[in-house]
Amino acid sequence: MNRRRFLDGILGAGFTSTLAAIVYPVWRYLIPPVSGEPATQSVVAARAAEVKANSALLFKFGSKPGLLVRTPEGELQAFSAVCTHLQCTVQYKADTSQIWCACHNGLYDLAGNVVSGPPPRPLERLTVNQRGDDIVVSRT
Amino acid sequence: MALTSRIVEWLDERLNLSDVRHFIQEKGVPIHAQKLWYYLGGVTLFLFMVQVASGILLLLYYRPSSAEAYESVQFIVTQVEFGWLIRNIHSWSANLLILAAFAHMFSVFFLKAYRKPRELTWVSGVFLLFLMLGFGFSGYLLPWNELSFFATKVGTSITGAVPVIGPPLVRFLRGGDDVTGATLSRFYALHVAILPATATILLGLHLLFVQRQGMSVPIKTLRALKPGERLKEMPFFPDYILRDVLVWYIAIATLAALAAFYPWELGRKADAFAAVPAGIRPEWYFLAMFHTLKLLPSHIMGLEGEMLGVLAFGLAAAVLVIVPFLDRRASRGEPSPALTVLGVLALIYMIAFTIIGYMAA
Amino acid sequence: MTWFRGLACVVFPAVVMLACTGVGTASAQTAQTAANGCVACHASLSDARLSAPPAALQGDVHQTHGFSCVDCHGGDASAAEKVAAHSAAKGYRGKPAGKDVITVCARCHSDAELMHKFAPRQRVDQAAEYATSVHGKRLASGDTQVATCISCHGAHGVRLVNDAKSPAFPTNVAATCGGCHASAEHMKGYTLPDGKPLPTSQLADYQRSVHHAALTKNNDLSAPTCNDCHGNHGAAPPGVSSLTTVCGTCHTVFATKFATSVHAQIFERACIECHSNHAVLQPSDEMLGTSSQTVCASCHSDKDDPGYVASAKMRASIDRFKHGIDSSANLIGRVKNAGMEVGDDELALNEARTRLVLARTEMHAFDPGSLDGVVGEGMKILAGVDQAGNRSLAELAYRRRGLFVSLAAILLVVIALVFKIKGLEAKS
Repeated sequence: MNRRRFLDGILGAGFTSTLAAIVYPVWRYLIPPVSGEPATQSVVAARAAEVKANSALLFKFGSKPGLLVRTPEGELQAFSAVCTHLQCTVQYKADTSQIWCACHNGLYDLAGNVVSGPPPRPLERLTVNQRGDDIVVSRT
Repeated sequence: MALTSRIVEWLDERLNLSDVRHFIQEKGVPIHAQKLWYYLGGVTLFLFMVQVASGILLLLYYRPSSAEAYESVQFIVTQVEFGWLIRNIHSWSANLLILAAFAHMFSVFFLKAYRKPRELTWVSGVFLLFLMLGFGFSGYLLPWNELSFFATKVGTSITGAVPVIGPPLVRFLRGGDDVTGATLSRFYALHVAILPATATILLGLHLLFVQRQGMSVPIKTLRALKPGERLKEMPFFPDYILRDVLVWYIAIATLAALAAFYPWELGRKADAFAAVPAGIRPEWYFLAMFHTLKLLPSHIMGLEGEMLGVLAFGLAAAVLVIVPFLDRRASRGEPSPALTVLGVLALIYMIAFTIIGYMAA
Repeated sequence: MTWFRGLACVVFPAVVMLACTGVGTASAQTAQTAANGCVACHASLSDARLSAPPAALQGDVHQTHGFSCVDCHGGDASAAEKVAAHSAAKGYRGKPAGKDVITVCARCHSDAELMHKFAPRQRVDQAAEYATSVHGKRLASGDTQVATCISCHGAHGVRLVNDAKSPAFPTNVAATCGGCHASAEHMKGYTLPDGKPLPTSQLADYQRSVHHAALTKNNDLSAPTCNDCHGNHGAAPPGVSSLTTVCGTCHTVFATKFATSVHAQIFERACIECHSNHAVLQPSDEMLGTSSQTVCASCHSDKDDPGYVASAKMRASIDRFKHGIDSSANLIGRVKNAGMEVGDDELALNEARTRLVLARTEMHAFDPGSLDGVVGEGMKILAGVDQAGNRSLAELAYRRRGLFVSLAAILLVVIALVFKIKGLEAKS
């Protein structure tokens, strides 16, 4: 192989790899990401089967935690899990079917209203919808 | 190669490409001491193409509302695969594009390539430069972070200094009295529709003129030719094209290096009620003008200093547009040192004040 | 004669109706003149002490329910002149004072059957409670300077307690109590059980407190005011031994932790030793530790004192934790600004901050070991956050290296192009 053809070969390889280096990232970019869209307004919190009656789970809503509750009657409720007192993360107490904050013993009912303790305001409520198997929580 | 020639033959049968093929084969680029400057136009065009492509890709995920713009950019750079790369390329290529456009304009100016018969090429080019600045200004707001919000606020308020039409102009630009989501919508429309459409038309004309008239040769070179001597030319294809591609590769390398070593930040989401960050200033391509206006006294001979400054810049822009018609000597093929000196002074002023503006912050 | 019958059918019922309304008007007029009798006379008097009460009746809850002057003062409201109106035979008792006030109010307010008709949810044991209070006991022994029903509720223009204009509404209670208790003149002669004069600084102290701020600035009506700790009708200072319980009514977690601590046996005045009773200020970590501004140092100043050692350890623990949270938050902030995904890490930081709040609660058990347990959990979370943050930084460095590699590839193509161009030049 003479020098010219060698050079042509390198150039051809160079152009092809440049093309590949452009096409590959663009192709991967075009494929929609798993998370769908920016999680400012709504988020898939869980699958319907994951939440049993009289139980709850924490999920991520933007950069703050959220609490998805299934009441003993089977209804789904969602709240911001940020306690309105000092922003601790609240949890669900199945024995009394209330939402409890471990930090200073704040208690909320299943409508998010304060039952007792220091929280000054009710928990922020979020809207729950079901899309097939997914439970979608969005800002009210 | 066999495949491409077969495709070309197929098209030739139907569209009669003979004059196009003849043109490409015959097209030559003059060789002389100043031929390196020829590449700047091509680089500007290349960077503009990069902007269009990366801009369209960003358009697939960007959301032009004050509630979601910042989050959508965050989404692009964190969730979308290679989103960070596309975004970085778009932001850096914007700066390189404006730098290349200015360099191209100055090189054409100093080489007097604007002289007859290329006046229209110059005029369309100057307007393209203004469009690029408009692209830069409108695009800068779109990520909706603190810096871009306040830079836009300061920038649009300067237009208020124009007499008579200033305040309505500010309202028109901002879509209201303040910079709000309405401004974002407006700038978005400017950036992705209005300016691209106008630029496409002007760019088409600009390139058409260049193809029809060929490359301009500096006056000195022409005068140094002996009678009957013709300037040596290199064939456009493949010689000049290969060199053009070489320069484009260097541009790509520069882009990659910038994206790697100075990746673009997200910043903090814009808060209309926050205090203006200290030392807020526009991007470098507006810095010289901005700093000049800052230094002007508040009143000069009874008139508002800022207004005079803005009018002066407007006048300078107008002069820039009609340079070919002012430079009689160049049109006759004679050197015009006066304009050259003016150009050098303008260049020194712009570079100096950009540097001073940076150091002042 | 049909026209006459027809006319009678119309006229007769009309006359009856008019007569009935006439009768109705007459009796209403009687009732009005009954009330008006007192009001009509008193309103026109020049002495403000006598003309003010009828004016104050506007909006009075008793008046709204149909009660009038005679229901408390006795007398004859229908009489047109003073002697008849102020007739003792009709039960006139003048202005009730001292123990009479309690009797007058309790006549209705301790009658469950009566109160049931007007306010079924209202309690009827206020008078009994009052008798157990400091005010009630002193009144029984003849002191007429103490507060009675009307001192806090008013006599005329009485409003329901949940009416914001009532002196007994939560935001007004402190000023109402302070009307006597903050006045040095009024409180002259009263002493504490140990003989020292009764202080009058409580209102001023309370107004500096977080409780007052929560009540008045944040409109949090659940924040305590005088009656929440001292009782309303049975008002008395809480006994020393019961202070933890009183504060613990709301601050349950702290009371529970405190009850397990060494201080529970030692402190005479429980929570108040460190947090004060009326001037309860916003607590901070500065209260803990060994330096001179801390509360601990007021007792524990000796380096060999186990209390000194414990407070030093606890403060160091909390400071270390806070510092860790700050540096992790900084790292995540940098990573977020560089454009990396940090949602999970921000959530974890929230969890860590929750642990900090819990640590400050745990501190009230005054046991460095248990505090370190909570802080340890928090530090583990922070370690995870730091790991994730550093991974993101590594990813950024990886991208930089990747672009560097692509630079090398580009330069290779550039060199090849240069050679190609030179080759073409040489040919031509």
